[in-house]
Amino acid sequence: MKKSIFIALACLLTLSVTAQGKWTPLDNSPMDMIYFPMDYPILKIRKQAPEMPGIKIIYSRPQKKNRKVFGELVEYGAVWRLGANEATELNLFKDLRIANTKIKKGRYTMYAIPFKDKWTIIINKDNDVWGSFAYDEKKDIVRTDVKTGKNEEPVEAFTMMFEKADFGANLLITWEDVKVALPFYF
Amino acid sequence: MNYPAGKLQRIVIVLCCLLLYGCHAIPEKKETKVDTPASLPVPRQESNNVVSMLDKSPMDIIYFPWEYPKLKMMGKIKTQPVFRVIYSRPQKNGREVFGAIVKYGEPWRLGANEGTEIEFFEDVTIQETKVRKGRYLLYCIPRPTDWTLIMNSDLYSWGLRINAKKDVFKFTVPTMPTDKTIEAFTMETEKTKEGALLWMAWDDTKVSLAIKTMDQ
Repeated sequence: MKKSIFIALACLLTLSVTAQGKWTPLDNSPMDMIYFPMDYPILKIRKQAPEMPGIKIIYSRPQKKNRKVFGELVEYGAVWRLGANEATELNLFKDLRIANTKIKKGRYTMYAIPFKDKWTIIINKDNDVWGSFAYDEKKDIVRTDVKTGKNEEPVEAFTMMFEKADFGANLLITWEDVKVALPFYF
Repeated sequence: MNYPAGKLQRIVIVLCCLLLYGCHAIPEKKETKVDTPASLPVPRQESNNVVSMLDKSPMDIIYFPWEYPKLKMMGKIKTQPVFRVIYSRPQKNGREVFGAIVKYGEPWRLGANEGTEIEFFEDVTIQETKVRKGRYLLYCIPRPTDWTLIMNSDLYSWGLRINAKKDVFKFTVPTMPTDKTIEAFTMETEKTKEGALLWMAWDDTKVSLAIKTMDQ
């Protein structure tokens, strides 16, 4: 029964995009990818990169579009997919540490629970998921709080970047007038 | 044996000529191109103050089963996906695409920016060849009547320099015309009796790669 529903759904979704000749449009919140070291693929073809990247994050980038983001569009105290569409994906190419937890290399999903003065960052092991609708706390690997900082200029598109640090790398996350930094130790 | 001086001279000249010709005939070792900063994209500054702009050729991700993350969210599917593709989506913007901005007979990254990545979560079979689960760089050599799709092991690379020595699989598929012009380069997956079709389409051209899955 379940299988037939799935097949029906899969066919429906597929037919809706191919049979009518309506190919998938561009997404309003485009996907993007960041590496540590930043721009690893470019460094690689310039022969300036280490053999393997350290970290890769795949996320989607909603835009502010004159809306109030934190506290309204993104509610305080609720689990947020750290972007849009599919939940943000974290790829670790080596074992490392976040907060006090050692994490094995592999693929994980990231969420955040934003508050006014801090965000709780969540690393979870349930992959390939849409949004935070089916988020399962039991599959958490890490939960850690990071303090929020303020941007001088509001940031239009949700943005993540890596910055090199003495201890490894900082993941900088920013949108609107809020920024946070999550340390990765390696 | 004594050669008359003139004859000896001739022999020496002929030998020298042969030697020179021989040297010339040895195929020159292709030097690795020295990348000048102007010819390659520049990495963004690793700085707190630089806020990344949205990309003109946005990245996208497709799964098989199609819309897998949504199906999973809806509780319609419990197994892992079969494969997914991460690619960037350049737009036509009024330009001639195939044979023009994408040259026939030359490697194309099947998108823009970073090389396109295909990840199989299980072993599959393509054109009678077993393709082991894992990540591959996916690129293409387009021609008017067919495209050769190539899976390569040189991952996490920008798409402009493809190391063909690391090619793992090559599959050639015929091109088909589209019903109408497709503005943004698009990939989709479609379920078939034997597994999946991976569709790729841009401008007036589309191709599909048949992927047989295990449970079929």
